Amino acid sequence: MNFPLVARLVAVLCLFIGISMAFPLAVSLHFDEAPGPLLWSLVITCVAGGAVWMWTRDVEDTHLSHRDGVTVVALGWATAGLAATLPYLFAGVVPTFTDAYFESVSGFTTTGASILTQVEGLPRGLLLWRAQTQWLGGMGIIVLSVAILPFLGVGGMQLYKAETPSPVVDKLTPRIADTAAALWKVYIFLTFLEVFLLVAGDMSVYDAVCHAFTTLPTGGFSTRNASVGAYGSAYIEYVIVLFMFLAGVSFSLHYRLATGNWRAFLGDPELRVYFWITVVLVLLVTADVAWSVYGGIGEAFRRALFQVVSVMTTTGYATADFNKWPVFSQLILFFCMFFGCMAGSTGGGLKIMRLILLARHAYLEIFRIIHPHATTVVKFGSQPVPQAIMRSVWGFFLLYLAIFVLAAAALTALGLDMVSALTAAATALGNVGPGLGSVGPMENFAAVPAAGKWILIVCMLLGRLEIYTILVLFMPAFWRK
Amino acid sequence: MRIIIVGAGEVGYHIAKKLSEEDQDVVVIDRDPAKIRRINENLDVQTFLGSGTSPRMLRDAGIEEAELLVAATDSDEANLVACLLARHLNRYVVKVARVKNQEFVREEDLFKKDLLGIDLIINTRAMMVETVLRLMEVPGASEVIDFVGGKVKLVSFLITPESPLAGKALSEIRCLGGNFLVGAIVRGHRILIPGGRDTIQPRDLVYFVSRAGELAEALGALQGGVLEMKNVMIIGAGDTGMAIAKALDERRLPVKLIDQDRTRCKEAATGLDRVVVIRGDGTDRELLREENAGDMDLLISVTGDEESNVLISLLGKDLGAKKTITRVSKLSYMPVVSALGLDTVINPRMTAVREILHYIRKGRIISVAPLREEQAEAMEAEALETSDIVNVPLSKVRFPRGAIVGAVIRGEEIIIPRGSTVIRPRDRLIIFASQKVIPQLEKLLTVKLEYFG
Repeated sequence: MNFPLVARLVAVLCLFIGISMAFPLAVSLHFDEAPGPLLWSLVITCVAGGAVWMWTRDVEDTHLSHRDGVTVVALGWATAGLAATLPYLFAGVVPTFTDAYFESVSGFTTTGASILTQVEGLPRGLLLWRAQTQWLGGMGIIVLSVAILPFLGVGGMQLYKAETPSPVVDKLTPRIADTAAALWKVYIFLTFLEVFLLVAGDMSVYDAVCHAFTTLPTGGFSTRNASVGAYGSAYIEYVIVLFMFLAGVSFSLHYRLATGNWRAFLGDPELRVYFWITVVLVLLVTADVAWSVYGGIGEAFRRALFQVVSVMTTTGYATADFNKWPVFSQLILFFCMFFGCMAGSTGGGLKIMRLILLARHAYLEIFRIIHPHATTVVKFGSQPVPQAIMRSVWGFFLLYLAIFVLAAAALTALGLDMVSALTAAATALGNVGPGLGSVGPMENFAAVPAAGKWILIVCMLLGRLEIYTILVLFMPAFWRK
Repeated sequence: MRIIIVGAGEVGYHIAKKLSEEDQDVVVIDRDPAKIRRINENLDVQTFLGSGTSPRMLRDAGIEEAELLVAATDSDEANLVACLLARHLNRYVVKVARVKNQEFVREEDLFKKDLLGIDLIINTRAMMVETVLRLMEVPGASEVIDFVGGKVKLVSFLITPESPLAGKALSEIRCLGGNFLVGAIVRGHRILIPGGRDTIQPRDLVYFVSRAGELAEALGALQGGVLEMKNVMIIGAGDTGMAIAKALDERRLPVKLIDQDRTRCKEAATGLDRVVVIRGDGTDRELLREENAGDMDLLISVTGDEESNVLISLLGKDLGAKKTITRVSKLSYMPVVSALGLDTVINPRMTAVREILHYIRKGRIISVAPLREEQAEAMEAEALETSDIVNVPLSKVRFPRGAIVGAVIRGEEIIIPRGSTVIRPRDRLIIFASQKVIPQLEKLLTVKLEYFG
């Protein structure tokens, strides 16, 4: 393990996070708020990062092995979470370190579960920082550093693979730094577009930026207590639905579209399944809530569309209190937390691609009972899927469910009721945000005991970094020479 | 610049490595998933799994925007077809193909001009024969690279414990006479670009530059006597062994050729006039002793088996052969061969890589020779008027550590520089530099590595 290099890269990340605090700091100065918390956080983070950077400046061996890459990503995320707690702690808006860390990890992992009971009235600079952690975490802080630090070379690929939420990693351009930069460009462009459209719908620029910062990473932090529902504007909701859906599409596909490759975009098998699952689930929920909760199709469709897309893309905004919906709709939303969106998007969950592969594989097993001598190949589109990928997908599926079960069990042991514990574990692991019951869309996570918060923090990190990257750190063999 | 490499074998791999490290956009196509995986793990390039002879694959790889196509698979036909398709898909792409079949090489013009418009044909076998012959002209050398059209030679040789140079500081070496400059020292895995205080140690591989005419003198000074290449033994009568034997046969040198295979021996005996062809196992110590391997000036091991080649050469050395040339194709063995005491190793793939890189870099930096494992380079560059290095004594120039000027060529004159030497505009310089300082060096020379002129 190349520890000096690992330390150096984590230091760079720390510096990035520090420097990125300048934006909320500027905003808080603009609104005449006390700059202290953000300013001190910025200084401390930059000094800490800078010190390690200087201390490791003599690193000669710049070879980054696969293991080093995994370590950098895991450590980098833990460190970023730590740095992001500083503004909350200095501003004195959260009571304990556990709460601050929960909030900041929930930010970076784009979960959007919050322990803040009152967000309205908090300093605007701080709320922007909260949104910005999601924005940075969505496309990936490591991917960003890969784009900016060209010296990483092939090491960049190791980091990129460890952070990108997808079973297969697309390299769009010959050089990995260009790929990372291309993805960030698409991301930034979509963010600007959403800000523009929201402002056009009479949202204030500040609110528009905060919401765009949390829509595109499928994060879900809002600046209102009642989330997006607080605006009561159909236009704003539909714009946000559109961008949540787009954020759930693989960014490699967005890039292909941007480079004029319409056919690759429309012909993508995963996109089609993603689209149709969304359509079917929206219709089912609409039908279920139309007369039982709302007095007609129109309102029901608007709420159901927003909620299904929000949960399925693992964003977690709310325009309706689905705690009061019929059980069938609640169950659909609960399942949505597991589906997630497309591989290579900013969303969480199991990912549609994995579900497709698992379904095909299962189908072929049944098929082989009918034709025992058949030669079968799992295909994705027209491409055969290598055995190694199938193995990793099965392993992922199994681990995902195992972690969900263990976390939910632990939460009930800590005193949560069954519905709350199950949905809290699913929502944290899937990086969604709200659950049901005591952690429902109009509630929050403040009441969960401290040990439960730490369980959820681990779940969020496992979900965002797709399990393997974190779990491998706990294998003794990983640390052996 | 977008570069497409067809074939991810050793040659393709190393060209991809070199070019991607120079920030080129490299795309590699290969049919073998294992090779593709190896590239993905180690290099920052884009890979495509598929055939380089598929037009669709070439289009996917971006042949339309590519400026260079290197066809380096093991199959001549695949390489030629890839070039043919490339020419059709993009008229302006520069094409380099690796070709083995002698028949194809003989009809070079057919492939270059008439049929396919290939810009460079790489034939490793012919290049290896040439290398061996060149090495024999410079006895004792491990490697000979020509600069400035052969007027300046870059020579490397291995320091034996008995060498008069062993243990000497570089500043002392000047007193030995001979007009040359030590530019780089390979010690185990590392390449040093030495200063005056560094000492030479046994088992070092020393690179120096010298004028072509004074090479023998310089080598004499360095080795304490001039070696003569008279008796040669070649082990392995494959294509390369045969080609070398034929060339030496034409020079009327006494050559012994050993091979195990009956038909090959028969072919050799038929095709060669003076060469003594012996059928037997080259790794058999008794056979080597019987055939007086110990009295040989040169023992060349070019059997098809890498590991056997190394062992045969070691055996030969042990029996008393003065010099050995060993063919080793696996680049991963390169760092340890000098440590084993093998003086000269020829590597067909490395030769191919060097040739290709040499061809595609035709900017102000005129030619480049990667040294061992490619951590350092010897490059030929022109001193521009705008650069900081001209019109000041060399000792005043702020050269990056790890770079040294090995020779200055001014018109017909070749100067081996000292601290007081002043570089003038339009001089050509031969510079040794470790890979790390090349960007700094480019800045200093105010040139960029350019391609295709």
